[in-house]
Amino acid sequence: MKLFAWQWLAASSLLLAAVVASGETRPRYGGTLRIEMRAALSSLDPADRNVPDSFGRRNVTALIFDTLVTFDDTAHIKPALAESWQAAGQELRLHIRHDVKFHDGTSLTAETVAASLRFANPSWKVMAEPDSVTIQGDFSEEELLAQLTLSRNAIVKRDAGKVSGTGPFHIVDWQSGSRLTLAAEDNCWRGRPFLDSIAVEMGKSYHDQMTSLQLGRVDLIEVSPEQVRRISQEGRGIASSMPIELVALVFAREALSPEEQALRSALALSVDRTAIRDVLLQGAGEAAGSILPIWMSGYGFVFSSGVDLSKARQLRGQAATIPNWRLGYDTGDPLDRLLAERIALNAHDAGLALQTTSSPSPDLWIAHLPLEGDAWNSLGKLADQMGVPLTKRHGSLEELYAAEQAILKSGRIIPLLHLPASYVASPGLRNWRVRSEGTVSLDDAWLESARQ
Amino acid sequence: MTFRRKLLIVFALTVFLSVAGVALAVLALTRNAFEKSEDEQTTALVTQFQREFEHRGGDVAQRVERIAGLDLVLRMAAAGHTTSADSASYLDLAHSIAESWQLDFLEFLDEDGKIISSAQSPAKFGYPDPAFESLSRLNQQPAFLKLEELQDSNALGLFAVRATRVGDHPVYVVGGRRLDRNFLSALDLPPGMRVLLYENRTERFSAESLLDPGSGRNGTHSADKLAALVNAVQHSDKEMTGVVKWSPDPADEEVFHAIPLRGAGQDRALLGILLIGNSRAAYAELKQRIRDSALLVGGAGIVLAILLSSWAAGRVTRPVERLAHAAQEVAGGNWSSQVEVSGRDEIGQLADSFNRMTAELLAQKERLVQTERVAAWRELARRLAHELKNPLFPLQLTVENLVRARTHNPEQFEEVFRESSSTLLAEISNLKAIIQRFSEFSRMPQPQLQRVKISEIVSAVVQLFQAQLKSSGRAAITCKLDLDESLEPVEADPELLHRAVSNLVLNAMDSMPNGGTLTLRTRREERKAVIEVADTGSGMTREECERIFTPYYTSKQHGTGLGLAIVQSVVSDHGGRICVRSEPGRGSTFVIELPFERH
Amino acid sequence: MLISVLVLGLAIAAHAVDWSAPEHELAHKIVALTGNAAISLSFENRSSLGRRDAEIIQNGLRGSLVAMGVQFVQNDPAAAKVVISFSENVTSYVWVAQVQKTGSDTAVVMVQVPRAASIRSARESVPINLRKVLLWSQAEQILDVAVLEENVRVAVLSPEKVFVYRIRGGNPALEGAAEISHSTPWPRDLRGRIVPAGDHMLDVYLPGIACHSSAGGAFILNCREENDPWPLIFASSGGAGTSSQVMAQAFFEASRNFFTGVETPPGGWLKIVPQFYSAALIPRDGDALWLFASVNGSIHIVDGAADRVTNLKWGSDLTSLRTSCGAGWQVLATSPVEDGSDSVRAYEVPERDPVAVSAAVDFSGPISALWAEAKGDSAVAIARNPETGNYEAFRLAVACGQ
Repeated sequence: MKLFAWQWLAASSLLLAAVVASGETRPRYGGTLRIEMRAALSSLDPADRNVPDSFGRRNVTALIFDTLVTFDDTAHIKPALAESWQAAGQELRLHIRHDVKFHDGTSLTAETVAASLRFANPSWKVMAEPDSVTIQGDFSEEELLAQLTLSRNAIVKRDAGKVSGTGPFHIVDWQSGSRLTLAAEDNCWRGRPFLDSIAVEMGKSYHDQMTSLQLGRVDLIEVSPEQVRRISQEGRGIASSMPIELVALVFAREALSPEEQALRSALALSVDRTAIRDVLLQGAGEAAGSILPIWMSGYGFVFSSGVDLSKARQLRGQAATIPNWRLGYDTGDPLDRLLAERIALNAHDAGLALQTTSSPSPDLWIAHLPLEGDAWNSLGKLADQMGVPLTKRHGSLEELYAAEQAILKSGRIIPLLHLPASYVASPGLRNWRVRSEGTVSLDDAWLESARQ
Repeated sequence: MTFRRKLLIVFALTVFLSVAGVALAVLALTRNAFEKSEDEQTTALVTQFQREFEHRGGDVAQRVERIAGLDLVLRMAAAGHTTSADSASYLDLAHSIAESWQLDFLEFLDEDGKIISSAQSPAKFGYPDPAFESLSRLNQQPAFLKLEELQDSNALGLFAVRATRVGDHPVYVVGGRRLDRNFLSALDLPPGMRVLLYENRTERFSAESLLDPGSGRNGTHSADKLAALVNAVQHSDKEMTGVVKWSPDPADEEVFHAIPLRGAGQDRALLGILLIGNSRAAYAELKQRIRDSALLVGGAGIVLAILLSSWAAGRVTRPVERLAHAAQEVAGGNWSSQVEVSGRDEIGQLADSFNRMTAELLAQKERLVQTERVAAWRELARRLAHELKNPLFPLQLTVENLVRARTHNPEQFEEVFRESSSTLLAEISNLKAIIQRFSEFSRMPQPQLQRVKISEIVSAVVQLFQAQLKSSGRAAITCKLDLDESLEPVEADPELLHRAVSNLVLNAMDSMPNGGTLTLRTRREERKAVIEVADTGSGMTREECERIFTPYYTSKQHGTGLGLAIVQSVVSDHGGRICVRSEPGRGSTFVIELPFERH
Repeated sequence: MLISVLVLGLAIAAHAVDWSAPEHELAHKIVALTGNAAISLSFENRSSLGRRDAEIIQNGLRGSLVAMGVQFVQNDPAAAKVVISFSENVTSYVWVAQVQKTGSDTAVVMVQVPRAASIRSARESVPINLRKVLLWSQAEQILDVAVLEENVRVAVLSPEKVFVYRIRGGNPALEGAAEISHSTPWPRDLRGRIVPAGDHMLDVYLPGIACHSSAGGAFILNCREENDPWPLIFASSGGAGTSSQVMAQAFFEASRNFFTGVETPPGGWLKIVPQFYSAALIPRDGDALWLFASVNGSIHIVDGAADRVTNLKWGSDLTSLRTSCGAGWQVLATSPVEDGSDSVRAYEVPERDPVAVSAAVDFSGPISALWAEAKGDSAVAIARNPETGNYEAFRLAVACGQ
């Protein structure tokens, strides 16, 4: 199956148009949007490293907080809390927008911005001046700006365990891990949102979310990728991002010998990704041999995602002993279970011993890694997770390719699939869209049922 | 142990032994009867279970048959070879059909045995079923047992295979129900009965392989108790019955009937063992109830026996007890004690004799008292006569002298008269003094109590007699004082006590006409204050000692015999007592004991 | 600031792209790997490049390689195998060459070719009795457009600025621009009006803000925070070029996107007014018939006696024009079209219910504003073109041409 990235983009934007742009009436103010999500966040602080990254977390962060700069739809940096910036040598000076207030009523100052950035990046050297902050360091302007778009670098005012942002919604009630209630910020610098409030229920499985939607208890839910086809056949308003979530096999440690490396390559060659995508995922996403999806890098097809059993058996034959690998997966996710079982079967075909396990310390596991909207940010984050040192964190396309190759060569990770983040909304929710990086934009969303 | 208690025990033991004997006999008889009925019931239940099991198998076969006839399956067969797009649309098919037909296992296989869709292992699409060879032969056969390989375990199930054929392409429908807790608990079983399944995975017995629908988990810590039965069935490959004691409590006993379950393959491998357990709890409960009733009846009998025998023993022993009591009273000095005489039996005669004996004793005592009183009066009369005779004789002589002088010597009469009248007056006053002393003794005053220190009183007495002790007219008496000054005060009349001690001192002085040593001592002895007055005089015989406190008795030539009587009277009025230790020639010691507290 | 400007039917010719620089760069990178050895070359198009473009680039690449001394062979096992793929990512085309030399691993070289912003010509439809003419187009959001002098000067209201352009020979030139100062953030779904004024150049109405341009000299805006009513409906006294008068004005909720009340000068209040997005007025003998697009999505028809909720499937923008056609007053109303775009149609209300008097005029995207122009006989409709992403302002004029 051959699907060009740009056609993908076009197709998905058409899908978006169908859902979003029906301009028969002006947006209505008011109403409470009810959302359910899978992630159960233990903290709302975007820089809290104890909270695993997820699209749900990014969605919540985007509602409450703003970053200094953001990417627009064409992957160009555009101003947000920073109005403009200049780079000089090893320095980047960002001019902070005036008249922006935190939800606690205090003004956005260079000091709070600097404090927020220092908290999120202890290694950065950030200096506050009256109307600007200067970041010094051994990175290029592009690299730094790209990093500033990350939700971890959202500007947060931290005050005695409480967080305050500048985003369109402020926190009304927060029950860690289960429930979040947000209310519209009347004085948001981007304008008051149409919705009056948003109620977020956390820790709901895909199945529970779908049930809630069918019962009319919720307006917006996340959808498991393998359900996308069925739901769109039902004619529900579904929207998906570009394939942005990397599903990969991640090994607990690096390969210690060339023999082990060869066995890992044999495993990579034995997995029939196309069958997994076509059947288990019901056609959602893309089979992946690369870390970055093709739409992001443009060259992803260079890394083969095909199955080559004879080569896999040949590599396996070189090994004197076959380790009995234990493959971990999220036992709460039925799709993950199927993936694990199928991969174990595939590995068995190549003569490898792979046992699925729910033990907390497997040899390798199925990881769902949400990528960032930007290629270098995605690679950088993954390299940090895998403990692979990157010589460059920004540069030309060929350097990006080299960096990706370096991570793959570490043998820690075997990419399997790139999956889109998909959402379904009740027909009453209008003017919402899914950004290419997998998050939902609710800034301009409104509810038909709202009473002004 | 009293007579009554002995009687009681004999009665109670007799009743208890007879009740216990009856209860044991009933228990033994009921047990036999129940064991027989238990065996019959187990056999009936095993038959019922086997019917139920077969019924389930038929049910599975029927469902698979109907699934094979579904339009969806016919279309699947008509489509022939599957593409990946088909696989995608079939992925959930087996699962959803299995769910709606309530099957645990369901697989659709194509003509080559490749899995088109699988409910139990959806990820296996496209892979061949390893058991396809034997499965294709079992098409249209009744339900059979099969071990199904799952991702991380094996599961035992009751399966059936039906093929749907459209043209040349058959689709095999392999469906089954899992032999698991749910299956077992869904079986329609009478109360008290349960079914366990032992999955024959290993050579040796493993508690892990035991499925118990009741316990909610695999095996129990005591599941090993089934090991013997399971191993026996594994070896013999035959149905067997055994009793398992889960705990020392007989209510936990269970009769197990073990049925080996064999697979459908040619080797008919032993896949599992069904263990049909029939609890003996009901039987144990009944046994317990009989035992409880026996205990209750026995207990009640014993209580009744005790009540009755205590009444009977009371009736028998009461006159004896009364006699014993009266005898004790007589021994205690109450000679007037009498026993009520009832009946004319041996006990009645005994009581009568006792009464007569006490009456006799009493009469004798009264006679003795009478005799003693007469003796005392005689003694008093003798003493009075003696006392009064002494002064009367000079009086008579003087008066006769006067009369003679008047007659014979009238000139000397005046002189004789003068001399005689003075003698008369002196003797009369002597008489008056005697009478005064007797009068005083009769008028002993009641003591006026106050707290006094006896050592002080003793000192005062010695002080009073100091002069007399050293008087020149007599031999010297040395006085020694040994007083305990720390002695607490006692409740006493100081005047009377003074008099008593004085009397003792006087008495001691009288007993030492040739001088000696007078020792006065005070001390504490337990809860009493003790005054000792010791002399080194002539001492007394044992008889004298016994009579010394009798009024009007005296060992002295000129005493009235009232001094020591007054002392004893004072001491006893103070609640104390007096005694004397004496030996002839060695002196006497009078000991007064006074209590600190009077009751 | 302005990315593209199109004025009154201006068309832009299709452009030809020069691919030679990246072709040369990729060829150079390939030769650096293979040297002048013979290679077998194949191509694969994974991008959105058209077949023709792909062929042009293939030829260009072959040419560059030949120029560097490379020879092409087929089926020679000794030769290096080069596969060139035309791919793309979010921002650019990516041309990837996989070079397989015998006895070594595949080497990969690539070049990135920025994708030109696609520019397409604007459409113009020919109305039958409702005429739609493109007035202005730009990438930045347009709230309203006012034609200050026909074919000479046009004022464009954007969220933060007002631009005045003078058109010379069909090309616009920026004559003046003024920033709109406001202390509070704009509400979402920002709306605004720009109206030519008699004594000075123009007035601007935005939520909670009213601005007046200076009377003469340089273009300066004086803005103040106040809730002046916005002019909604105008009536020309007749005859082209003559001044018109405001028939109705309305009060805008400063922190929302709707009006809260209407006023019919001089001073008469209409009491029964639902919150509404837009209103149309049809004067009748001594009275007026009002149509409101209320915030709950329904259309209210209100006269002196009653407030009727209709089941008209109209959008939330409507206005009324005083023309010389038909009954004299027409209502223009938006309606949704199935593909997500909107259309506008003219109606008259002879009795109680509106009757369509024109064919629907389609727009390529949703209409974000429909305001009566100050002349009173035409309206401005703003729509976003989903193909270009540009905002387009059209004039809708009623032509009595049956």
